[in-house]
Amino acid sequence: MDRHSRSARVARRAAPLAVAALAALASAARVAAHAGGVRSATRETVTVPTWLFLATGGAVVGASFLLASAVTDRAYIRRIDTWGRALPDAGRVARLLARALGLAALAVTVVAGLFGPGTATESAAVLIVWVGWWAAFVLSAYLFGNAWPAVDPFRVIAGALPSLDRPYPERLGSWPAVAGLLALVYLEVVTPMADDPRLLTGLVLGYLGVSVVGSVVFGVDDWFDTADPVSRLLDAYGRVAPVARGTDGGLRLRIPGMALTDAEWIDGRDDIGFVVAVVFVTTYDGFVGTAVWADIARPFIEVGAPALIVYLAAMLAGYGLFLALYLASARAARRTADTYLAPGELARRFAPSLLAIAAGYHLAHNLATALSLSPTLAVVLTSPLSPPATHPVVLVPGGVGGVGVAAVLGGPLLAVWVAHSTAYDLFPDRLQAVRSQYGVTVAMVAYTMASLWIVSRPAGAPPFV
Amino acid sequence: MSRDDATADGSPHAGMPADATAATPLTESDPADDHYDVPSDATVVTCPRCGRPFVRERHRDLHLGQAHAGLGDDERAAYEAARDEEADELRRFRILSLGLLVVIYFGFLFLYAVAG
Repeated sequence: MDRHSRSARVARRAAPLAVAALAALASAARVAAHAGGVRSATRETVTVPTWLFLATGGAVVGASFLLASAVTDRAYIRRIDTWGRALPDAGRVARLLARALGLAALAVTVVAGLFGPGTATESAAVLIVWVGWWAAFVLSAYLFGNAWPAVDPFRVIAGALPSLDRPYPERLGSWPAVAGLLALVYLEVVTPMADDPRLLTGLVLGYLGVSVVGSVVFGVDDWFDTADPVSRLLDAYGRVAPVARGTDGGLRLRIPGMALTDAEWIDGRDDIGFVVAVVFVTTYDGFVGTAVWADIARPFIEVGAPALIVYLAAMLAGYGLFLALYLASARAARRTADTYLAPGELARRFAPSLLAIAAGYHLAHNLATALSLSPTLAVVLTSPLSPPATHPVVLVPGGVGGVGVAAVLGGPLLAVWVAHSTAYDLFPDRLQAVRSQYGVTVAMVAYTMASLWIVSRPAGAPPFV
Repeated sequence: MSRDDATADGSPHAGMPADATAATPLTESDPADDHYDVPSDATVVTCPRCGRPFVRERHRDLHLGQAHAGLGDDERAAYEAARDEEADELRRFRILSLGLLVVIYFGFLFLYAVAG
């Protein structure tokens, strides 16, 4: 998973200061930024100082806002937004196949995880979850379309059981999904989940247990559409994709990212909280692998604070700050755009654009993994319980690191256009539309710089745990 | 506050300026979902058709032209005046942002020459 936390916010707030300070330092200590420092994959050294690398990234996003705001033809913006073609729905056979595939993958994961080899690179469980699912499948969700509802084996199993159909408590909204997502990422960070097949299988079974209990109590649709963190995560990523379900329920092809201008699915602060959590966990996951996090955490560990608490506190504080920052940018929009639209309404409408940023960041961190380890997954799957001793690893060409940096920048660029399109939809006056985006653009610039900073750090394992 | 005007989804009116002639409504696609929060002491300009509150008359006039069909002569004139004013301000913004882009471009050119 992708990482970063507390100091995304530190980096955000301190960005202008840091740029100035680093500018002074840079002549003395020229840092070679490792652009595209995707874990264990690419090592492409950029020879500009880190501060310049970050400032350039921020400026690209800022400049793209200025360029986007030069497009003032409402009809044209609307045309790009609404362009679409109806696609034929997958047939019954395809749906049954997808479901069987999901169930088979879960079965192989559990069996291989419990009884197969205990080393990560030979374990079908580890490879299915981290390479097949987290890297490749999630990637396909935002590049093509979210197929998780068709594949989801947990939903199939939970749906096969009778349900008490208690009414889902409305005031909880999406907060259980937020808590679940944060909990999953927390567990991934503080435990050797990526290396220990038994532990990973335990988590998969635990998640299955929670899903079953949740859907038995509240009904399978209420549970998986509202409270289940994994379904919600893939649904959110799927909204970046070109293929999505339209309002009539049929599949529709759109220009990538344009589905993000629809905010009907965001009901209130809980759904905004979920979108921010998707962006945040990516950042947290990356941040805790950096040396700066080790320096921040060390004093607390040295005075005897348990590492698990330090990680948890960092996660909660970071998430709270991310959410506060986003809500503040929406409040700023109300002032700058000169409107009576409620701040909550502005926050709701602009929230989906953040998902483009999260998708870009996920791509940057997982493309290399997906490409290099997919052959290993294929070979291990031929015999999950006793895999062949040697398995191929694709040497990912250096250019993939460049794709990582491009994705970290491309996400926000798409987000800027989505915000532009949303603003034109919201405001009758085009000057209002431009001005309403100031706050969100600042947040996007800061976020991009924080992401680039993390991508430029050598990635390590989270310390102290 | 939410509004419920059936006309918002109708085709825009013939004779509108060039970029407003598409077959779909051009703004505020789902009016029922809009929520407003008007301070009690604020001056409010309200849309006579749907009751939407606006801060400025110009916003209301533009909204009328974009979201409602069958404007009266006064409303049409107000809409066109508002569009002209909006266009002038947009032009100023464009020149400003072009200037800013030039500054960013040469600023970074300079930074790369010095530090890169």
